[in-house]
Amino acid sequence: MAKLSSSTTTLLTTPLRPTPSTSSSPSFLRQSLSSPIRHATFIPRPRRPYTFTQLVQLSDGSTYTARTTSPLPLYRAAKDTRNTLLWQPSEKSLRNVELDEAGKLAAFRERFGRVFDAPAAAPVEGEAQAEGATAEGKAEEEKKAAAAAAQQEDVGLNFEDLLAEFKPQDTGALKDSGPKRAPTRRK
Amino acid sequence: MQTASTLCSRCATTYSAAAAARFYSATAATTEASAVASTSPPPATATSPKTPYPYDIRSGLILTRPPLLTRTLHPFENAFFFYQKRLEERLNTPFITSIYFKPDTAAQLDWSIKVQERGGTVAKELGTYHGKSSRAWDDELRVGDPLSARETVLESLLKDAAPRVSDDAEVIAPEDVVPVERPAERVSEADRKGDVRRLDRQMERTLYLVVKGAEGWGFPADVLQDENLHEAAKRVLDQAAGVNMNTWLVGRVPVAHLVQEPVLGADGTVQKKGRKTFFLKGRIMAGQADLKGNPFGYTDFKWLTREELEKELAPEYFKGVRNMMADR
Repeated sequence: MAKLSSSTTTLLTTPLRPTPSTSSSPSFLRQSLSSPIRHATFIPRPRRPYTFTQLVQLSDGSTYTARTTSPLPLYRAAKDTRNTLLWQPSEKSLRNVELDEAGKLAAFRERFGRVFDAPAAAPVEGEAQAEGATAEGKAEEEKKAAAAAAQQEDVGLNFEDLLAEFKPQDTGALKDSGPKRAPTRRK
Repeated sequence: MQTASTLCSRCATTYSAAAAARFYSATAATTEASAVASTSPPPATATSPKTPYPYDIRSGLILTRPPLLTRTLHPFENAFFFYQKRLEERLNTPFITSIYFKPDTAAQLDWSIKVQERGGTVAKELGTYHGKSSRAWDDELRVGDPLSARETVLESLLKDAAPRVSDDAEVIAPEDVVPVERPAERVSEADRKGDVRRLDRQMERTLYLVVKGAEGWGFPADVLQDENLHEAAKRVLDQAAGVNMNTWLVGRVPVAHLVQEPVLGADGTVQKKGRKTFFLKGRIMAGQADLKGNPFGYTDFKWLTREELEKELAPEYFKGVRNMMADR
């Protein structure tokens, strides 16, 4: 603070433009005397936290040491590049394969699923289903139409049959789904 | 004379004037030249059908496995890093235990037991050393002290990792302490058995795939069949070593080449064609070579380091490919 105040006073006292009439001493001497003194700034030592040597073990068992502030001697990574599919594209165990031994998921998908859930095993059928899906009727009807379309695939698409089977969606049924219930109150 | 000096001797003799590089900016000049060539008896086009190119152009692949481990450090490097760590002990702020360990917990008890065993030293692998004491300057190890060795560092870290206090904050007796499982050694089982076909051998070094053909050991290669070098190299690898490898062709530019001179008769006719083999570089990420049913007649394969290749390959062969090999 003292340094700052002294410098401001010198600034105030020194005239902006030296005029020869007001100054008696030579200009170079006056400048050297009035210029603020720059002391050396105290630079504090950077804070240097205590660091340990830590053994890092990746998920495939490979290890390396690192300097860290953590006092943990051994760090085992649960997820790292060694068990991530992005870095291990040829590792089969990392692939997200659906476990569906009982066929429950497949049955659910067959009943409630849409076209994009259908298995990719039957591409012709899927194509036919994509057209029949606009009807969005019962699953059974859809299947019959798809099978019929698949049968006629060899001859060529019979659009007349498809148009005949087309049923526009009954939007009114969706709207009149009973009277509106009052929202349940929560306490 | 100037053009001859910029070309190498082989190119100057084999390249014809018509096959020289033609730029867009030089269309006028080349049309003039072609007009001249059409009027005058063409020397280059007349000679080329007489003497067919006496070399087979072949493309091969040097499949490499990069090092899996970092290199083993020299004892001097270990000692240097150890010295740096002790220096760090002197310069940094002391470890504040209360930041990391709550008082009266099992973790805190565990920590204090381990620090007491080390003689009050917080660091785990530096021996008994107090960076803030008056004897801190005496931090140098004697020659042959095993304290700075990698093995000692690993041992001390693993020893520290073993829990000394149970979850119920009961001190475990020293004989009941369950040691932490050691990580796998740098030397694999394939190294101990001397199995040169496994890919997990010599994990600090680059391995190169060599196959044994009719002419001895070498890298898989084949004559170009209306394809580019990199296409041929990929085909050669697929045909020779199977498709059950996840490989990556590093570039389309050859990294090494071998020239086998043709055998010429007394009248200059080609008795046996020479070979120019260009090698591309590939990396293997996963899988293994399988020579079953390969059309080149390869009978065996090995994954070898540079030094082992020097013994296995013919001297001229190794001289042609050695410059693409890394030190490690």
